[in-house]
Amino acid sequence: MLRLAWRNVWRNRRRSLINVAAMGFGLAAIMFGQSMMRSLQYQLIEKATGSFTGHVRVERRDIDEPKFPDKFMTDPEPAAKLLAADPRVLAWGRRIHLTGLISSPNKSLGALICAVEPEKEKIITDMATYIKQGHYLEPGTKGIVMGHKIAGRLDVRLGEKVVLMAQAADGSMGAEAFRLVGIHETGSESFDGQMVWVPLAAMQELLVRPGQANELAAKLYDIEQADAVAADIDAKIGPGNVGAMSWKLIDKEIIGIQAFQDGMLTIILGIVFAIVALGILNTQLMSLFERVREFGVLMAMGARPRWIVRLLIMESALLGLVGTALGLSVGSALIAHFGRAGLFLPVGDAFKYFLPFPSVIFLRPSWWMHSFACGTVFLVTLLATLPPALRAGRLKPSEALRHV
Amino acid sequence: MSKHLHAPLVQTHGVEKVYAAASKIAALKGVDLIVERGEFTALAGPSGSGKSTLLNIIGTLDRPTKGTVSYDGKVISTLDVDELSDFRLHALGFVFQSYNLIPVLTAAENAEYPLVLQGVEPAKRRKLSHEALKLVGLEHYAERRPDMLSGGQQQRVAVARAIIHRPSLILADEPTANLDSKTGAQLLDLMEDLNKDHGITFLFSSHDQAVLERARRVVRLQDGELKADEVRAR
Repeated sequence: MLRLAWRNVWRNRRRSLINVAAMGFGLAAIMFGQSMMRSLQYQLIEKATGSFTGHVRVERRDIDEPKFPDKFMTDPEPAAKLLAADPRVLAWGRRIHLTGLISSPNKSLGALICAVEPEKEKIITDMATYIKQGHYLEPGTKGIVMGHKIAGRLDVRLGEKVVLMAQAADGSMGAEAFRLVGIHETGSESFDGQMVWVPLAAMQELLVRPGQANELAAKLYDIEQADAVAADIDAKIGPGNVGAMSWKLIDKEIIGIQAFQDGMLTIILGIVFAIVALGILNTQLMSLFERVREFGVLMAMGARPRWIVRLLIMESALLGLVGTALGLSVGSALIAHFGRAGLFLPVGDAFKYFLPFPSVIFLRPSWWMHSFACGTVFLVTLLATLPPALRAGRLKPSEALRHV
Repeated sequence: MSKHLHAPLVQTHGVEKVYAAASKIAALKGVDLIVERGEFTALAGPSGSGKSTLLNIIGTLDRPTKGTVSYDGKVISTLDVDELSDFRLHALGFVFQSYNLIPVLTAAENAEYPLVLQGVEPAKRRKLSHEALKLVGLEHYAERRPDMLSGGQQQRVAVARAIIHRPSLILADEPTANLDSKTGAQLLDLMEDLNKDHGITFLFSSHDQAVLERARRVVRLQDGELKADEVRAR
């Protein structure tokens, strides 16, 4: 049966080739789309967590916006020790976020102040890599790093002083002069136009909050462990007003984008699958009408109806295998090529407002999704064959033999 | 299938066939026919006389509207679809007017196909296919596909396919109609040899007088009724 099925597949070579090509390139397009979406999401997550959020955070539970916690942990050390002891944690650091006023001799602006432990922060985020002028923060100094846009608006240059003003713990307005040591250019409006970075110790001093922080940010060896690590740390901290959470609860908009993209991808996949199914259905129906007499001969020889059904399904399975193999090859080659060369997508500008994001996506395979696509294309091929196959199985031998 | 002692190979009893789609036209009107083992029998009659319909019903390719068909004493016209397939697979061989070889298979592969359906192992199939093609004089054409064979050669392959599984009855519907007279005569020689030398029963239809003269028994049909049954001494 296999031999007959294989030869029947190539009986109308052109039609089969068109079908295999449609199936193959359809599958390759699906794989490419899956990879593009997944790579885009991966880079988005990598950038969001790598430039600011971190993989796991410890914050107070009663804050309104976990991304920018505005309430202080009076004693973050027990949680800090838990992070330090967890082998899955690559690096962790204390941070203070708050809004304040930044003034140059010429101008004053509102700014989002991020106070960090410089040495640790270099590992937790990649902000140090965006410095275009000067250098990153150094511990024990009163240096400040800011984006080129806010520096421009304040009209300050490297080496010049600015004054930060923020509300101290006792309700008074604290103020401190910081020397501009570095200017970064991330391409993001939020980062370059609104944020300034100072050493944690200097900010604790300004706010009269020694040893306090409003978050602990951690980077893990493996981001996939974020939920598990957050859950473990949270359990160890126990009930109280401090808790641990993974980046997914902090960067909820990325999860939203991911869900939206997955939904779009599912719709596109459905359309491609439908096109493949209609192509196969058409081929098998044409093949059925062309070979009605032949089925009559096979039945006359003693082939049972379900043997005919199996023959047609096997033909489709072979066609599906060839198409799937072609799609897998072309799709993998495309992903490999754009994995090395990168794919320019004008999405960077859309995301850049919120975070530093490149417009070049480096594709990476998502084998679980690709396997699903391959399996579905193959299954769709088989399902599309069922109506004509069952119809062939219902033919009456005498009528089939009279078919012209 | 168990053989009943003294039962004829084929027996039709009161076979009627009415095609509902064609305004209830009766293609067969109560045909009673007995075919014994070893016969070389022709069904004769003009077009529309019911020859092909009777062959189809005896060959279990179609069911009678009324009446029964027995094979070796057992009624087969009431078997279900799968049982009929199995019956044809083991007991019958078919030769069609337009050869009906499978175009993507070689002569040898076409000839051996009933054995594929029977699940015979490949080596044995190949051996039997070679023997069958040798019997019809085409052992050197085994690897050719139908489109590389003449009409006569294709019909010989069809005969090889019909005999390869040693059926007890071969049904041939106008087997020479698409062949020139010389090739047709050669095919009849082959069928006759197989009948005489291997005891295969042949029941074939034709309206060609030259073909009918080769039969040892001629059953004449007209308007769906059996009009004459002539046995010839040869």
